[in-house]
Amino acid sequence: MIVRYLLAALVAGLFSGVLMTAAQEARVVPLILHAEEFEGGDEEAPAADGAEQGASHEHSSLSAVDALAEFASFLSPVGVAHAHDGEGEEGGIMFGMSRFSGTLLANLVTGAGFGLLLAGVSLVTGNPITVANGALWGAAGWLAVHMLPAIGLPPELPGFPAAELGDRQVWWVLTVLLSAAGLYLIFLKPGIVAKLVGIVLIAAPQVYGAPQPTDISSNVPAVLGAEFAVAALATTLFFWIVLGLSLGFANEKIAKAA
Amino acid sequence: MAVSNTSSISLSASDRLIAGAIALLIGAFLVFGAGLANSATLHDTAHDTRHSYGFPCH
Repeated sequence: MIVRYLLAALVAGLFSGVLMTAAQEARVVPLILHAEEFEGGDEEAPAADGAEQGASHEHSSLSAVDALAEFASFLSPVGVAHAHDGEGEEGGIMFGMSRFSGTLLANLVTGAGFGLLLAGVSLVTGNPITVANGALWGAAGWLAVHMLPAIGLPPELPGFPAAELGDRQVWWVLTVLLSAAGLYLIFLKPGIVAKLVGIVLIAAPQVYGAPQPTDISSNVPAVLGAEFAVAALATTLFFWIVLGLSLGFANEKIAKAA
Repeated sequence: MAVSNTSSISLSASDRLIAGAIALLIGAFLVFGAGLANSATLHDTAHDTRHSYGFPCH
């Protein structure tokens, strides 16, 4: 029986990861690629030709001409790894996969991970996720993992200024945990005291403040950053609603079909 | 369908906690690996995903 619940979470997570990949390719990845044109300092001279770079293969997803070739390389599990400006010297994409395959793999892993975490919270707290309440569970997950941390650390484009990575990761993880605990107290615990404590838990990391960069100048245009922040939050909201609904469905079809 | 304190989770309370703990552990491991682990290869593979999900990156 235990395995069936884990399986349900995995199925829902993998399914959501696939849909998330489609949403990302449509709304988010073009902005990341565009921002990478400006990443890496002044010598790259964004200038006027920044928007019309049909010739450069690296940014070809923005041009209709290379779209077919790009699409063909997406379908191949092993393709040319696209270099990332200014990094990747010792890194590179696992197994020589194409950039898209790497993103798909990462989305599958992340989807399975968030699916298991959502199912884990539901099981440990004893509040079942069903088709009826799945979207609400998903929305709460989105609030805890994306919206509330984004108040302090908005989704960043490549090339954006940012504070020390380790500091930001610690703040981010603590904020996700405190926000999740706060949402649990607000939504699932009766009593005014629980709700007040929940609000305090959610507010605490925001009052403390996220680590901020000392110099906020960037080569990346502000409009791109604004579009990206909204696109990232919108696509993750889509991901979490799909995850909550499909987890509710999988719970009813897989977990209880013993 | 042993002891169940909720209408729709058909596990005993202890099995429910075990399943939940396993799910939380594996889930945290996967999300950490894809989103936060400080490895150049993992970072490059998951690069676009990390940015899209708003994980602290770079």
